[in-house]
Amino acid sequence: MTRSLYIRGDVQNSIRDLRAETGMSQRELAEVLQVSRQTINSIETGRYDPSLPLAIAIARHFRRSVEEIFHAD
Amino acid sequence: MQTDTPARRNAVALSVLAVVLVLMSVVVVLLREHAPGNMVPGFIIGLGIGIAGALVMAWRVLRRPDRASTFERAWTQTGDEREDALLTRALAVVGLLSLPLVGIGTLAIGFGAEAPMVMTLLLGALAVTGLLSFAVFNHRS
Repeated sequence: MTRSLYIRGDVQNSIRDLRAETGMSQRELAEVLQVSRQTINSIETGRYDPSLPLAIAIARHFRRSVEEIFHAD
Repeated sequence: MQTDTPARRNAVALSVLAVVLVLMSVVVVLLREHAPGNMVPGFIIGLGIGIAGALVMAWRVLRRPDRASTFERAWTQTGDEREDALLTRALAVVGLLSLPLVGIGTLAIGFGAEAPMVMTLLLGALAVTGLLSFAVFNHRS
Protein backbone atom coordinates (compact mmCIF):
# COMPACT_ATOMS: atom_id res chain seq x y z
CA MET A 1 0.00 0.00 0.00
CA THR A 2 2.87 2.36 0.79
CA ARG A 3 4.37 1.73 -2.61
CA SER A 4 1.14 2.65 -4.42
CA LEU A 5 1.16 6.11 -2.85
CA TYR A 6 4.41 7.00 -4.61
CA ILE A 7 4.88 7.85 -8.26
CA ARG A 8 8.37 6.39 -8.22
CA GLY A 9 9.39 5.09 -11.60
CA ASP A 10 10.29 1.47 -12.16
CA VAL A 11 11.16 1.84 -15.81
CA GLN A 12 14.51 2.98 -17.19
CA ASN A 13 14.68 5.17 -20.27
CA SER A 14 17.13 6.74 -22.66
CA ILE A 15 15.39 10.08 -23.09
CA ARG A 16 18.34 12.09 -21.81
CA ASP A 17 20.65 10.52 -24.36
CA LEU A 18 18.15 11.01 -27.17
CA ARG A 19 17.61 14.61 -26.14
CA ALA A 20 21.36 15.21 -26.13
CA GLU A 21 21.64 13.77 -29.64
CA THR A 22 19.10 16.26 -30.91
CA GLY A 23 20.49 19.15 -28.88
CA MET A 24 17.21 19.85 -27.16
CA SER A 25 16.89 21.24 -23.68
CA GLN A 26 14.47 19.81 -21.15
CA ARG A 27 12.33 22.91 -21.49
CA GLU A 28 12.18 22.61 -25.26
CA LEU A 29 11.17 18.96 -25.05
CA ALA A 30 8.59 19.84 -22.41
CA GLU A 31 7.05 22.47 -24.70
CA VAL A 32 6.86 20.01 -27.58
CA LEU A 33 5.18 17.38 -25.40
CA GLN A 34 3.03 19.94 -23.56
CA VAL A 35 4.20 18.96 -20.11
CA SER A 36 6.26 20.81 -17.52
CA ARG A 37 10.04 20.82 -17.46
CA GLN A 38 9.88 19.19 -14.02
CA THR A 39 7.99 16.27 -15.51
CA ILE A 40 10.64 15.75 -18.18
CA ASN A 41 13.34 15.84 -15.51
CA SER A 42 11.41 13.37 -13.35
CA ILE A 43 11.01 10.98 -16.27
CA GLU A 44 14.68 11.20 -17.23
CA THR A 45 15.86 10.56 -13.68
CA GLY A 46 13.51 7.60 -13.35
CA ARG A 47 11.42 9.11 -10.59
CA TYR A 48 8.23 9.16 -12.65
CA ASP A 49 6.87 6.75 -15.22
CA PRO A 50 4.89 8.51 -17.98
CA SER A 51 1.43 7.43 -18.98
CA LEU A 52 1.02 5.40 -22.15
CA PRO A 53 -0.13 8.39 -24.26
CA LEU A 54 2.85 10.43 -23.10
CA ALA A 55 5.26 7.55 -23.68
CA ILE A 56 3.90 7.15 -27.20
CA ALA A 57 4.22 10.91 -27.79
CA ILE A 58 7.85 10.77 -26.63
CA ALA A 59 8.55 7.82 -28.89
CA ARG A 60 6.97 9.55 -31.88
CA HIS A 61 8.96 12.70 -31.25
CA PHE A 62 12.25 10.80 -31.29
CA ARG A 63 11.07 8.52 -34.10
CA ARG A 64 11.70 5.41 -32.08
CA SER A 65 9.50 2.68 -30.69
CA VAL A 66 8.34 2.82 -27.08
CA GLU A 67 10.35 -0.32 -26.31
CA GLU A 68 13.52 1.26 -27.65
CA ILE A 69 13.18 4.20 -25.29
CA PHE A 70 11.64 2.61 -22.20
CA HIS A 71 12.87 -0.65 -20.71
CA ALA A 72 11.99 -2.25 -17.39
CA ASP A 73 14.87 -3.81 -15.48
CA MET B 1 -3.67 14.48 -22.04
CA GLN B 2 -6.42 17.09 -21.63
CA THR B 3 -9.40 16.98 -23.93
CA ASP B 4 -11.29 20.07 -22.69
CA THR B 5 -10.70 23.48 -24.24
CA PRO B 6 -9.33 26.44 -22.26
CA ALA B 7 -12.59 28.32 -22.81
CA ARG B 8 -14.62 25.47 -21.37
CA ARG B 9 -12.20 25.09 -18.48
CA ASN B 10 -12.43 28.82 -17.70
CA ALA B 11 -16.21 28.66 -17.83
CA VAL B 12 -16.25 25.76 -15.38
CA ALA B 13 -13.82 27.55 -13.05
CA LEU B 14 -15.87 30.74 -13.09
CA SER B 15 -19.06 28.77 -12.46
CA VAL B 16 -17.50 27.00 -9.49
CA LEU B 17 -16.26 30.34 -8.14
CA ALA B 18 -19.73 31.85 -8.49
CA VAL B 19 -21.36 28.93 -6.69
CA VAL B 20 -18.78 29.11 -3.90
CA LEU B 21 -19.35 32.85 -3.46
CA VAL B 22 -23.12 32.39 -3.29
CA LEU B 23 -22.81 29.55 -0.78
CA MET B 24 -20.34 31.51 1.36
CA SER B 25 -22.70 34.48 1.35
CA VAL B 26 -25.50 32.27 2.63
CA VAL B 27 -23.17 30.87 5.29
CA VAL B 28 -22.24 34.39 6.43
CA VAL B 29 -25.90 35.33 6.76
CA LEU B 30 -26.65 32.19 8.76
CA LEU B 31 -23.60 32.69 10.96
CA ARG B 32 -24.68 36.22 11.77
CA GLU B 33 -27.96 34.85 13.01
CA HIS B 34 -26.72 31.81 14.91
CA ALA B 35 -22.97 31.88 15.49
CA PRO B 36 -21.47 32.99 18.80
CA GLY B 37 -18.83 35.63 19.43
CA ASN B 38 -16.58 36.85 16.69
CA MET B 39 -16.99 33.85 14.46
CA VAL B 40 -18.45 35.88 11.59
CA PRO B 41 -15.49 38.31 11.25
CA GLY B 42 -13.08 35.40 11.56
CA PHE B 43 -14.93 33.43 8.92
CA ILE B 44 -15.00 36.41 6.54
CA ILE B 45 -11.30 37.06 7.06
CA GLY B 46 -10.42 33.43 6.46
CA LEU B 47 -12.67 33.30 3.43
CA GLY B 48 -11.13 36.47 2.06
CA ILE B 49 -7.62 35.14 2.48
CA GLY B 50 -8.58 31.89 0.79
CA ILE B 51 -10.24 33.61 -2.15
CA ALA B 52 -7.37 36.08 -2.49
CA GLY B 53 -4.87 33.23 -2.53
CA ALA B 54 -6.90 31.36 -5.14
CA LEU B 55 -7.14 34.46 -7.33
CA VAL B 56 -3.39 35.09 -7.08
CA MET B 57 -2.72 31.49 -8.07
CA ALA B 58 -5.12 31.72 -11.00
CA TRP B 59 -3.57 35.01 -12.15
CA ARG B 60 -0.03 33.60 -11.99
CA VAL B 61 -1.04 30.48 -13.88
CA LEU B 62 -2.87 32.42 -16.60
CA ARG B 63 -0.24 35.11 -17.08
CA ARG B 64 2.94 33.01 -16.93
CA PRO B 65 2.08 29.31 -16.84
CA ASP B 66 5.72 28.34 -17.31
CA ARG B 67 6.65 30.23 -14.13
CA ALA B 68 3.81 28.88 -12.04
CA SER B 69 4.78 26.38 -9.38
CA THR B 70 3.83 22.72 -9.47
CA PHE B 71 1.42 23.38 -6.61
CA GLU B 72 -0.29 26.25 -8.46
CA ARG B 73 -0.65 24.28 -11.67
CA ALA B 74 -1.99 21.26 -9.84
CA TRP B 75 -4.63 23.17 -7.86
CA THR B 76 -5.83 25.19 -10.84
CA GLN B 77 -6.08 22.00 -12.89
CA THR B 78 -3.73 23.40 -15.52
CA GLY B 79 -0.94 20.96 -14.82
CA ASP B 80 0.22 17.93 -16.73
CA GLU B 81 -0.34 14.28 -15.84
CA ARG B 82 2.40 14.17 -13.23
CA GLU B 83 1.04 17.22 -11.42
CA ASP B 84 -2.48 15.80 -11.52
CA ALA B 85 -1.14 12.56 -10.04
CA LEU B 86 0.68 14.48 -7.30
CA LEU B 87 -2.50 16.27 -6.27
CA THR B 88 -4.54 13.08 -6.41
CA ARG B 89 -2.10 11.21 -4.18
CA ALA B 90 -1.79 14.08 -1.70
CA LEU B 91 -5.56 14.32 -1.40
CA ALA B 92 -5.71 10.54 -1.01
CA VAL B 93 -3.44 10.78 2.03
CA VAL B 94 -5.69 13.50 3.45
CA GLY B 95 -8.70 11.28 2.89
CA LEU B 96 -7.00 8.31 4.52
CA LEU B 97 -5.96 10.28 7.58
CA SER B 98 -9.29 12.06 7.95
CA LEU B 99 -10.99 8.95 9.33
CA PRO B 100 -8.66 8.31 12.27
CA LEU B 101 -8.30 12.04 12.93
CA VAL B 102 -12.08 12.48 13.12
CA GLY B 103 -12.21 9.48 15.42
CA ILE B 104 -9.58 11.03 17.67
CA GLY B 105 -11.43 14.34 17.58
CA THR B 106 -14.67 12.64 18.53
CA LEU B 107 -12.98 10.93 21.47
CA ALA B 108 -11.45 14.22 22.55
CA ILE B 109 -14.87 15.87 22.57
CA GLY B 110 -16.19 12.91 24.50
CA PHE B 111 -13.48 13.45 27.09
CA GLY B 112 -14.47 17.08 27.48
CA ALA B 113 -12.50 19.01 24.89
CA GLU B 114 -14.25 21.99 23.35
CA ALA B 115 -15.80 21.09 20.03
CA PRO B 116 -14.83 24.35 18.22
CA MET B 117 -11.21 23.89 19.26
CA VAL B 118 -11.18 20.26 18.18
CA MET B 119 -12.73 21.14 14.81
CA THR B 120 -10.21 23.91 14.27
CA LEU B 121 -7.30 21.62 15.10
CA LEU B 122 -8.75 18.93 12.85
CA LEU B 123 -9.04 21.32 9.94
CA GLY B 124 -5.50 22.53 10.51
CA ALA B 125 -4.14 19.02 10.78
CA LEU B 126 -5.77 17.98 7.51
CA ALA B 127 -4.51 21.10 5.74
CA VAL B 128 -0.97 20.52 6.96
CA THR B 129 -1.19 16.86 5.99
CA GLY B 130 -2.21 17.83 2.47
CA LEU B 131 0.58 20.35 2.10
CA LEU B 132 3.24 18.02 3.49
CA SER B 133 2.05 15.11 1.38
CA PHE B 134 2.15 17.21 -1.76
CA ALA B 135 5.64 18.45 -0.93
CA VAL B 136 6.95 14.94 -0.21
CA PHE B 137 5.46 13.39 -3.34
CA ASN B 138 6.69 16.30 -5.45
CA HIS B 139 10.19 15.91 -4.07
CA ARG B 140 10.19 12.14 -4.58
CA SER B 141 8.86 12.28 -8.12
